[in-house]
Amino acid sequence: MTLSSASAPEPKPRQRVCWVLLLLCLLGLIPIQRRIDSRRANDTGAAEVLFLPSGEFLRQFSLGYEGLLADIYWTRVVQYFGRKRLAHSTEFTLLGPLLQITTDLDPHLLVAYRFGSIFLADKVPQGAGQPQEALVLLRRGIVANPDYWRLWEDVGFIYYWDLKDYPAAARAFLAGSERPGAMDWMRVLAARVAAQGGQLDTSKFLWSEIAHQAGNAQIRKNAEDHLMAFKAEEDIAKLDELLALFNSRQGRPARSLQALVVAGYLRSLPRDPSGVPYLLDPSGRVRLGPRSSVDLGLLE
Amino acid sequence: MRVATIALHTFKESVRQKVLYNLVAFALLLIGAAILFGSISVGVEQIILVTLGLTSISVFGLLIAIFIGIDLVSKEIERRTIYNILSKPVSRVEFILGKYLGLLLTLFVNTAVMTAGFYAALFYQKGALVRGDLVFLGAVYFILLELAMVVGIAVVFSCISTPVLSVVCTFCLYVIGNFSADLRVFGQETQNALLGTVCDILYYSLPNFGNFNVISQVAHAEKIPSYLWVGNSFYALLYLVVLMSIAILIFEEREFR
Repeated sequence: MTLSSASAPEPKPRQRVCWVLLLLCLLGLIPIQRRIDSRRANDTGAAEVLFLPSGEFLRQFSLGYEGLLADIYWTRVVQYFGRKRLAHSTEFTLLGPLLQITTDLDPHLLVAYRFGSIFLADKVPQGAGQPQEALVLLRRGIVANPDYWRLWEDVGFIYYWDLKDYPAAARAFLAGSERPGAMDWMRVLAARVAAQGGQLDTSKFLWSEIAHQAGNAQIRKNAEDHLMAFKAEEDIAKLDELLALFNSRQGRPARSLQALVVAGYLRSLPRDPSGVPYLLDPSGRVRLGPRSSVDLGLLE
Repeated sequence: MRVATIALHTFKESVRQKVLYNLVAFALLLIGAAILFGSISVGVEQIILVTLGLTSISVFGLLIAIFIGIDLVSKEIERRTIYNILSKPVSRVEFILGKYLGLLLTLFVNTAVMTAGFYAALFYQKGALVRGDLVFLGAVYFILLELAMVVGIAVVFSCISTPVLSVVCTFCLYVIGNFSADLRVFGQETQNALLGTVCDILYYSLPNFGNFNVISQVAHAEKIPSYLWVGNSFYALLYLVVLMSIAILIFEEREFR
């Protein structure tokens, strides 16, 4: 058996020079790019301009491709909103006009009404803080898609959460409940909002509806966190009542929640929705345990 | 000297191509049409003219750079003229550099023609040209730097691949180069350290064409900051050395049968 060894050919001097130049220049690009990036980040952006402000005009010139153009404009809306959020900007000047163009091009692009209204209505810096603009967009959506009850639901939510106009929210939920295919709870929701005007129960009802419906795990978790906070707040209110009762009957304040169990007011030590026992602080108020994962701040 | 001779011949060969005139004619037509687009809008007539005009120069320059750039080497191989050239006292380095500089000259002349058309349209719209209009030349300079890099990329691919594949690869790299800032953001946002490092490496090694885009800025009559003049010039220069080194390394190793 013979062994043969083939050694790699030595690189020519010219090739060596090329390799050295290549590596040096590649390394040299890094500080230049970093310098450009750091300076450009401080530059103020150019004024925002919408070159073609009319969706109707675009529709005429789309040569029948208005659906595709609407998709492109909707993508532009998402990119615009995302870019602004990443830059922590509080100015969303083009958001409304871009949504208008998108829905002019395709009045049945429901996603543009639903998500667009969230982008517009959410408070700054999460959104544009323009709930009235969001309502205008949704009403245009309702005119173009009268049978789609979800748009009424979105109108109701904006009145409820952002404008705190509970009668208007109730009217929107009721109008939505009369559309074909609307969920039964829309009518319940309308009744509750109308009767209670933003009380604890209504909020709970809305959050539980979101928790059941949400396809996104993060949204569902957020809703569940809210529901846990509601439950804890209710528990604390009930325990405060029992403590007051104990005080009036025994003629002295309870030193711990265990005292309520011993006196027969409670069957066992109460626990919050995350499973951690409630505590009684020295001032006689019930509070969450240090290991509790319930966040009462969500209700503020 | 030999490099200059090859460059001059490449230039003469390029200007004979009909596609070049078609593209320049289309660009001039679009620049002229920008006046019309501006007139049907409100308050942004000049912005539309500047944006559309400079974009036309950039896009058509890009098409010229790609479609003529990929033919530079592959056509010589296909027509077997490469044997004649390399059998003469011409090194492969001189051949590549000459070809590259020839196309660069072609692009420079074409861009000059398109820029003249752009300023003519601007003059027609405004009735006069003022000193502030010189700011647009800065954008044209950046477009030229960008095109010089695209030609470099086209030459690299032309050395290793077929013309069709070279067009696709060059165009893809151009598109990626315009999104490299997003690549960086993606790297920063990701929770994965390895992925973040890979994104960083790609960000710094792939061409960043976003640096050269100042069209919106000059359309609003904003001056181009000095750091961009200096930074972009050096960036393009270093990147061109990288591309030429790669092209030479590939071409030196290539065997012609």
